[in-house]
Amino acid sequence: MLRFQSFGLVLVTVLAAVSTTLVLLQPVEPQDGLQYWTFDRSHAQVASAAAANWNPRHPDLPVRVTTLTGPTLLTRMLSGFYSDTPVGDMIEVERGQIGQVFAGPVQDIGFVDLTDRIDRDGLRAAINAPSLSPWSLHGRNYGLPHDVHPTMLLYRSDLVEAAGIDVRQIETWDDYFRVMRPLFRDHDGDGRPDTYLLNTSPTNMGAHEVMLLQAGGGMFDAAGQPVLNSEINVRTVARMVVWMAGPNRMTADAPVSGPSAIKLAGEGYMLAFLAPDWFAGAIKKELPNLAGKLKFMPLPAWERGGRRTSVLGGTMVGITKACRQPDEAWAFIKHLYFAPETARRLYATFCIVSPIKSNWSLACYDEPDPYFSGQPVGRLFLNLAGDVPERIPSPFYASATTVLSAAIVGSCRHVDRHGITDPAAVEPEVRRRLDAAQAELLGIMQRNVFVAGRAP
Amino acid sequence: MSARPSANPLDRLGRLLLYAILGSLAILTLLPFIWMACAAVKTEAAFFTSQFLPRGDGWLGIAWEDLTLRQFRRLFTEFPIGRALLHSVFFASVCSLGATLFCAAGGYALAKFRFRGRGLITTAILGTVVLPSSLLLGPGFEMLYHLGLVDTYAGVILPAITPAFGLYLFRQAMLNSVPSDILESARIDGAGELRIFFQIVLPIVRPMISAYLIIAFIGTWNNFITPQIILQSPERHPLAVAIFNLRGLYGSEYSLIMAGTLVAIAPVMVLFLLLQKEFISGLTSGAVKG
Amino acid sequence: MKSGRPHAPLTPWVFLAPYLAGFTLFFAWPLVRSLVLATEQTYGPKVTVYVGLLNFRSILGDPMFWTAVGNTALFTACSLLVQVPVALGLALLLNRPDIRGRRFFRLAFFSPSIVGLAFVAIIFGLLLEKRTGLVNTSLHTLLPAWDPDFPWRENYVMISLVGSTLWLSAGFYMVYFLAALQNVPRELLDAASIDGAGSWQRFRHVTLPEIRPVLNIIVLLVITGSFQLFELPYVLYNDTYGSGPENRALTVVTYLYRTGFHSGDLGYASAIGWVLTLFLVGFALVHRHLTRREET
Repeated sequence: MLRFQSFGLVLVTVLAAVSTTLVLLQPVEPQDGLQYWTFDRSHAQVASAAAANWNPRHPDLPVRVTTLTGPTLLTRMLSGFYSDTPVGDMIEVERGQIGQVFAGPVQDIGFVDLTDRIDRDGLRAAINAPSLSPWSLHGRNYGLPHDVHPTMLLYRSDLVEAAGIDVRQIETWDDYFRVMRPLFRDHDGDGRPDTYLLNTSPTNMGAHEVMLLQAGGGMFDAAGQPVLNSEINVRTVARMVVWMAGPNRMTADAPVSGPSAIKLAGEGYMLAFLAPDWFAGAIKKELPNLAGKLKFMPLPAWERGGRRTSVLGGTMVGITKACRQPDEAWAFIKHLYFAPETARRLYATFCIVSPIKSNWSLACYDEPDPYFSGQPVGRLFLNLAGDVPERIPSPFYASATTVLSAAIVGSCRHVDRHGITDPAAVEPEVRRRLDAAQAELLGIMQRNVFVAGRAP
Repeated sequence: MSARPSANPLDRLGRLLLYAILGSLAILTLLPFIWMACAAVKTEAAFFTSQFLPRGDGWLGIAWEDLTLRQFRRLFTEFPIGRALLHSVFFASVCSLGATLFCAAGGYALAKFRFRGRGLITTAILGTVVLPSSLLLGPGFEMLYHLGLVDTYAGVILPAITPAFGLYLFRQAMLNSVPSDILESARIDGAGELRIFFQIVLPIVRPMISAYLIIAFIGTWNNFITPQIILQSPERHPLAVAIFNLRGLYGSEYSLIMAGTLVAIAPVMVLFLLLQKEFISGLTSGAVKG
Repeated sequence: MKSGRPHAPLTPWVFLAPYLAGFTLFFAWPLVRSLVLATEQTYGPKVTVYVGLLNFRSILGDPMFWTAVGNTALFTACSLLVQVPVALGLALLLNRPDIRGRRFFRLAFFSPSIVGLAFVAIIFGLLLEKRTGLVNTSLHTLLPAWDPDFPWRENYVMISLVGSTLWLSAGFYMVYFLAALQNVPRELLDAASIDGAGSWQRFRHVTLPEIRPVLNIIVLLVITGSFQLFELPYVLYNDTYGSGPENRALTVVTYLYRTGFHSGDLGYASAIGWVLTLFLVGFALVHRHLTRREET
């Protein structure tokens, strides 16, 4: 008899024995065919539909679709690239995470270079040009674009029209805030505004990038060099921060999903949203109580005659170097991303418009959408697709976002502290902070011998 | 304990105040648990109308019709939380048993034997107690990569069963409570070394075994960073990683996340309630003598 | 040790071997490797380039690293100032001899320490949520002027982090203090009472010197533990991969983790790890120096 046993020891031993047995008895899922990884449940539905169509014709190499959460997909994908753990044959990557893929030596990029395949199959002219840019490094393409994600302004037509405001007088952002100003007020007199004019805030980096790209600024130039402190960035940030902070603050963040979002929407908390096509799909599903109360208009421009759209988010699919049947994988992703059927499905379910020009003539894009007050939403977005700004991917995208965000939040605090309402007054502070952010980013970049040493 | 009758009204007031302070602090401490449990059984709609349980006309003034176990059902049917629970039990029990056995044996060798290199080995092992565990994240991962253990159960278990802290605790316990004379006389009686270890030494340090077992169990259960780095396949994830991922994908479904977190902390809570004496005495034995 | 019948010379090695094998493979060797890695730049374990002392030079001039050090130091200081007094206070309250239900209270205060940091982060993420979180809804109920949209997580990074660790660890350290307090000889306290010492004087001159060794250890534990903060901000601020607004939640270990496992640079991560080690060893040495001087 073992005299050192105790209740705890017996309990843990029994747990160990039972759980080990169960773990060993777990069924092993078959890993045959081509693995297709995505991070989004809706993307998975589309891919599964295409796979259901594909698999009967390719019984020996069926496509299996797996959905992982964003951070999990990133860790598993990078782990696969870094250390050969099992990784999908085709992986969908989100715009915010593609930078990590390009962080090592060029020859160690985990995705297959698709440039020659794209040209050989004559696909380049078929794809909306700016939509290829986020997935291309030094002129080589590593993925096919899933979307365009042009961005418009989605506004509460019910509130605007009830106030007798005509949106046709709005051409620039300055117009917008001036014309809409009467709607920004405290209805119940509790000292807090009840309707904000735009969904952005000092920490909403997505919205900031939308605005900077629209203005012609951004984080990197075509050669991949950082341009955080460019003149256009300084001027644009200075104009943004006085809307987001200080005595003239007119913006806030609003949740767009869940019960509290529905409640806020009902109360008219947010007058307008920066809305890419996917946002249209999401809000339609999440906020049924706004049906018939919303309309789209092109984004107000920064200067008269300026660009009326921008871009937010995006996804590509690429073929990993671990894939042993790249030709078949290429055939599948072409089948998936180019088919009119996919375009129709993406639009019907999520309002997402296709980056493939031959799909732009589909009739579905012209159907009036009752949720959006009868506007032909697809066509409105497609009219702007060619104007979408290019985006330069960078291994340092995450670092750039971090330092840029810190500069913007700091500028907003400065505006709060000094009660600034005039963009010109905050410009020196913004410039100082963007210069510092630029210097910090350059420091981070120079440390990376893989990227610093490679030819632009 | 001498509970003196407190006739003095001032004394009584003081005591009342003391209980009031302790009581409100205890409620404050337990509030997050209570809130979470309430939120996990509420419908999404009731979530926004009530802080704890929705009020209504039912028994105790609670709207029982707004309570549901739906989120728990979803966790175990729609999501692989059952599998993650199994893996948490598996990792925690196997790692804690392994660590207890290895550390007890190692601590015994270092405490009760004299041999060349003992001082050096003891210093080397105990020296690593002060090193930050994050220092070894990178090179440890590299080692697992070269051994082909990334994304395997062994990759999580093997590095977890030789903690320096465990060795330190067992070495202390052996030094303090295992008399050398007993070992000597057992050897003279012709007992084998393994028999001495299992039948004489381990029974003496039994309190330390129970204590360390539960400390290691809870420590492994709560470990997030190791499985997050080493296990890539979701079919191997324990709860800490699975709940983290669940929040990533379903962050706005508060009730679901609360239910998941509740499932993740309830088992160790129960275990702790069952074994709290061992657990606390084991924790404090390292720092407080007696 | 007396010399009776000696054990076989290999016996201790048999007992030590399993531990030593694991220790060598997963602690000692990686430790040596981390020194080498610190002089390399890597893209995962496969691709490495020797860069000499570049990593350490870069760390010195890396503002992100120093931001992380600043945050971590601030967090450590706050934790020390909050956790230790609260834990000691709870222990003192519970140590009064005339308390009934001590076991219940001890259990209640200790129970949060059973919850893992990753789970604590999820719980507090929900507690601090705008509009729906318990903190804002209760404050709004108590003070109707309180804005239910108050962004705790965004505006009060340090309060959120220190608050959640206080909840987690006050009871944990309380248990240590309680154990120490129960070892304070009653006769000493009674003698002090007879000499007319008030409760503060009794605490100051009898209790405190008696529990000093435990207090010293806890101070060191809080410092070294807080300086390695990672899971809490990483999960609480997962939307920014643990940096939080303006990097105010970025800690040294979060930065190490992100460098090593998101950017794949195990070399720079190792160098950060060694700088962190230097900090910790430095704390330990200063601490030892101070406590030594106290004793003499």
